[in-house]
Amino acid sequence: MWGDLNGSIIPRRARPKGWEGRSATRWAERGVSRRSFLRFCGAMTATLALPDRYLPRIAEALEAVKRPALVWLEFQDCAGCTESFLRASRPSVGDIALDILSVNYHETIMAPSGKAAEKSLMDTVRNEKGKYLVVVEGSIPTKDGGIYCTIGGRTALDIAKEVCGNAAATITVGACAFYGGWPAAKPNPTGAVGVQEAMPGITLINLPGCPPNAVNITATVVHFLTFGALPPTDQQGRPLFAYGERIHDRCERRAHFDAGQFVEEWGDEAHRKGWCLYKMGCKGPATFHNCPVVRWNDGTSWPVGAGHGCIGCSERHFWDEMTPFYRRLPTLPGVGVQTTADKIGAWIVGGTAAAFAAHGVASAIRAKARPLDENSETNEEDR
Amino acid sequence: MPKIAIDPITRIEGHLRIEAQVEGGRVAEAWSSSTMFRGMELVLKGRDPRDAWLFAQRI
Repeated sequence: MWGDLNGSIIPRRARPKGWEGRSATRWAERGVSRRSFLRFCGAMTATLALPDRYLPRIAEALEAVKRPALVWLEFQDCAGCTESFLRASRPSVGDIALDILSVNYHETIMAPSGKAAEKSLMDTVRNEKGKYLVVVEGSIPTKDGGIYCTIGGRTALDIAKEVCGNAAATITVGACAFYGGWPAAKPNPTGAVGVQEAMPGITLINLPGCPPNAVNITATVVHFLTFGALPPTDQQGRPLFAYGERIHDRCERRAHFDAGQFVEEWGDEAHRKGWCLYKMGCKGPATFHNCPVVRWNDGTSWPVGAGHGCIGCSERHFWDEMTPFYRRLPTLPGVGVQTTADKIGAWIVGGTAAAFAAHGVASAIRAKARPLDENSETNEEDR
Repeated sequence: MPKIAIDPITRIEGHLRIEAQVEGGRVAEAWSSSTMFRGMELVLKGRDPRDAWLFAQRI
């Protein structure tokens, strides 16, 4: 095959440009031009909320030839986090992450099965002790001796203790590995918990979300490779670069919230105009995630952009605390632009919601001619 | 006659174990087991039906 570029004929497998005189042939061999590589490094710098001057340092770290080993464990999972990670379509996020790492074990994508698969895992634990990274997807069942998830005859808890316990760091992906996810939703039939609860004290970072964004997973790995440490986190172990700001404060529909312009019914004129979804149950005011900024599907859109409220998937126990999803959030007293995740967390745990939010009241006054719909009737009694 | 077990079966979504009884070079009997349980039905019970799709799509 021959490609056509501005009328000139070039071989399809031509060595990509920009790598002359550089040692990073691995990228060149994969057909990644220096320009694309630097664009990726720039995107990572931005995602990590680092100043531009860090770009060369990130590029330098990623050019280095060492590929740290990574094992990806799946316990009580739906493989949705894996899908989210692998289906990032630009040849940047998923591909590049797989290029900078040696993924030695991942049940959904690896060729070996059975004993051969387990050997890959155990070889990494033994030979790379203290140096490899672990990603955990899915919750860990603790009821009845942990029998509700076994792999190769061992319980999830048993495997996690050995594999996470000997790793340089553990990265939990998704709500399930964070706190138990929907398997831990009431009545939590299998006693599902997150990694932190199952193994307190291990070096760990949480990337919740249902699913988490591939951009954030990759940026966390890039941070680790560049600085030799995990990025700074909040009290729940979530990196601040991705979970430091409320959805609500970065929302493209925020101006409509401030102006009291709300969708009152699915498909109404306000919905068609893209007004605020707060009254339809949007959990953006109580959720910390960078979705409005990094977006999904290569930055195409995100749930609120597509006309559906945020379900609060990066928050602990959202399957119980944020449901029913189409019921309006109860009040958020004192929630301002500067509110931090830790304060909001205290609010949720404390359950002190007592009055309608100022904006809710303002909107109720504006909308007094309209009957309140069922979503607006939510009150603090449920808390 | 040897009984072989393949666990985990990879390149699928979910957890699967296959055991096979081999007799004279042929599989005489085989058993499959799903080695993970979460209890989706129990979790869905009593919830707002409008929330069901959000749970169920994460099976």
